[in-house]
Amino acid sequence: MRPDLLEKVSGQAEFISDVSIDGMAFGKIVRSTEPHARIIGMDISLAEQANGVVCVLTGDDSDLLTQTDWGLFYEDRPVIARDRVRYVGEPVAVVVADTQAHAEAASRLVVVNYEPLPICATAEQALAGDAPLLHEDFRPISDFYFKGTARGKAGTNVFQDYLLERGDVDSAERSAHRIYEHSYSFPGIAHFAMEPHCAIARFDHAGLTVWSGAQSPTAVQKVLARVFGLPIARVRIIVPYVGGGFGGKASVKIEPLVAAAARKAGRPVKVLLSAEESMLTCRRLASNITIRTAIDADGAILSRTGDIVMDGGAYADTGPAVALKSAHRLVGPYRLPNLRIRARAVYTNTVPGAAFRSIGGPQAVWATESHMDEIAAELGEDPVDFRSRHLLQRGDAVIENLRPLDVDPAAMMDAAVEATTKGHNRASRGLALAVTDPGILPVAGAIVRVHADGSVEVRSMSVEIGQGVRGVLQRIVAATLSQQPEVVHILDPDTASAPYDWGTGASRSSMIMGLAVEKAAGDAVSKLLALASEAFEVETSAISLAPGGLEIGGRSVSFRDLFHAAHGIDSGDVTGQASITPRSLDGKLAQAPLFWETAAAACTVSVDPDTGVVALDTYAGVADIGRALNRSAAEGQEEGAAVQGLGHALFENLVFDEGQPMTAMPLLYRVPRLSDIPADWTTVLIENGDGLGPMGAKGMGEGGILGMAPAIANALARDHGVRLRDLPMTPERIWTALSSRKPHAS
Amino acid sequence: MDTSVEISVEINGVPVTRSAPAEALLIDFLRDDMGLRSVKLSCDMEICGACTVLVDGLPMSSCTTLAADVDGAKVTTVEGLITDGVLDPLQQAFIDHGAVQCGFCTPGFILAAKALLLRNPSPTRAEIVSALDGNICRCTGYSKIVEAVRHAASA
Ligand code: FES
Ligand code: FES
Repeated sequence: MRPDLLEKVSGQAEFISDVSIDGMAFGKIVRSTEPHARIIGMDISLAEQANGVVCVLTGDDSDLLTQTDWGLFYEDRPVIARDRVRYVGEPVAVVVADTQAHAEAASRLVVVNYEPLPICATAEQALAGDAPLLHEDFRPISDFYFKGTARGKAGTNVFQDYLLERGDVDSAERSAHRIYEHSYSFPGIAHFAMEPHCAIARFDHAGLTVWSGAQSPTAVQKVLARVFGLPIARVRIIVPYVGGGFGGKASVKIEPLVAAAARKAGRPVKVLLSAEESMLTCRRLASNITIRTAIDADGAILSRTGDIVMDGGAYADTGPAVALKSAHRLVGPYRLPNLRIRARAVYTNTVPGAAFRSIGGPQAVWATESHMDEIAAELGEDPVDFRSRHLLQRGDAVIENLRPLDVDPAAMMDAAVEATTKGHNRASRGLALAVTDPGILPVAGAIVRVHADGSVEVRSMSVEIGQGVRGVLQRIVAATLSQQPEVVHILDPDTASAPYDWGTGASRSSMIMGLAVEKAAGDAVSKLLALASEAFEVETSAISLAPGGLEIGGRSVSFRDLFHAAHGIDSGDVTGQASITPRSLDGKLAQAPLFWETAAAACTVSVDPDTGVVALDTYAGVADIGRALNRSAAEGQEEGAAVQGLGHALFENLVFDEGQPMTAMPLLYRVPRLSDIPADWTTVLIENGDGLGPMGAKGMGEGGILGMAPAIANALARDHGVRLRDLPMTPERIWTALSSRKPHAS
Repeated sequence: MDTSVEISVEINGVPVTRSAPAEALLIDFLRDDMGLRSVKLSCDMEICGACTVLVDGLPMSSCTTLAADVDGAKVTTVEGLITDGVLDPLQQAFIDHGAVQCGFCTPGFILAAKALLLRNPSPTRAEIVSALDGNICRCTGYSKIVEAVRHAASA
């Protein structure tokens, strides 16, 4: 059983919002009401005099900071706005008080005077030649968090411009029989984790300690070390249970601001955002994608081009990686002899874009899989057959220099079709396929410590965010040490005791941290055998591990007996340690991606012609995950991802009107509810034990989000005669499309 | 302050009398005064159900209920569903069926389901859907939650 579940159902689980530190004060953030403006004055005097107020942090407090701006690809984001704001919601002050209520009350007394600046409300405006610039100079940093450097152009708003190319698209298009071109839009999406962002910071003699619901604690540690001029060894990050993240708590978010408030206050400060504030903190990048495919006289694809423009918001965060991955994810599991995909991400005066489950994936797959069906319809061919004629096979290259495809897309497609066909005619369903290359850095470390009482402690930075990583690590360590899972304890991630790990995201923890703890447990086994061999003067070959201790030549020896024999008292421990690097497993991890995260989705829908309301009737999702390390957790990852995809498809839309967020509050932002979920739901996990992870596992958890929107759109087109190219597919859009269809039908 | 009110409630079977500010919300009273941290704050506007507690067996959003309004009532949180260390069948079913991921929505779902089973021990799927439609889970995709409730009902 997953060790976290008992705590979670019984109310014992401690989340970051439950954590309380001695002497802590509470911070409330004052946020910009302007999308782009100069701050020409700020009056904090009333707030400072208010009940219980400790201090007010503003942009005038730069002397508290060694480095005033931070970022992951560009150092473009001020810890706190100094003289300028770039989006509605940007922090301009933090009011710190003895209680949350006092902080909130006093925060309303801060008066800010703005002088509005011209804005870039949309990506199109940001790309225009005369667009106002959000950032006058670009300060890129390389290999800081993700590998590589963003290819932005100073003097424009473009912070990433990536080109993926092979063959000769131009001559392919010249020789084409037909060329199909369509454009698809995808809005900004809120992560909407149920637990809003929260962090607590404390400066003391030891340095800076931060408790945070962070997915990438070591990235937080690195950025904080720079911002406050501290050695990494003096910045400690502790992560309790996290109430959902989906990328919204990845990289670095509110921690530099909270730490700055604590430094000014001279005491620990907790900042717990409201759900609305979390929606003003980060979002999925919106995109417009134009995709064009050239076909020869036999209906074979000759070439494909894609032009992706992503709205990255006011600060780049990990947006450059999102744009790059969207280009890769636009390719699909198809033979495309000639290819040219350009992906740009631009600054706009909106909430900063950030990682979100399968970065760039849903945007790209929405375009590419809708487009595949549109071409099939033009050719008068069944979409399954059209795809089949172009499908890659296991071992083929999706993108040159990347690992060859490690799944069989045809088998996945068949499984999805099979699960939704059941008595229906094969054509009456929407289908979508996807292949994505997770951006996983194979760098992780772990410590496994065996105590005299037989309990085992595992120290790793993998964050339990609901995916069940603690259960997976527990299972792997128990198996490697031949112990019962119950004796294996996974500690809260804490940089003071666990080795470096890149972070929790991109479907990497079960695989990479799984390998690290497996190796660390193996190291503990060798050390236990060596110790026993010394203490009992027997060959290590005669010793093996058994539940509770060792077997030495048929005799059971408890761990306590072992330490007694070795140390003279029945105390002690053995510490196994290991690191995974790109050179691990004889270099097998060096080539990217470590596995292909793929998806096949199929569905049927019905539509109410009077209202345009669409209902999902049946759905099947297929994932090739190598091996399920915990079946129900793995299914749950697939299902949860697909339902987030359903939100993308039908409901969710972070609307900005001239930079003003119109839907950034739970009341106005519709996420999927139970009544949206059909009873007829199938999750298929393909297990061939062919992954590089423990027991042949591949990573998983993102694929399910990819296929839902295009599968629904394709079902709507086939069965209801309307083709939607803009998300979300709201009743209004569907009804309008149905209405404009009628004249043609009559 | 004279705006304090005295509140007598039975919380998880234990009678409690406290004075609290008249404007104190039930969620703050339960979390901060009573230390019942299973009651989770998310939307703070009665649309997500994370803060659900049972008041005399009925589900209520504690983020929009005054503590004073439960005076004289019986309040139940998931801590109170455990008897002599044994989980309620619903809690066990949520574990067994993988109906929990991050766990932030879980106490609210379990209590909303408990209220349903108290008044309808063998609900249909449609009845489960309508009873739990006011609770949001961003992680699980809901199917396993329905499975868990069906299983607990038939157990
Ligand atoms: S927090 Fe009370 S209903 Fe959402
Ligand atoms: S388990 Fe995370 S919100 Fe439901």
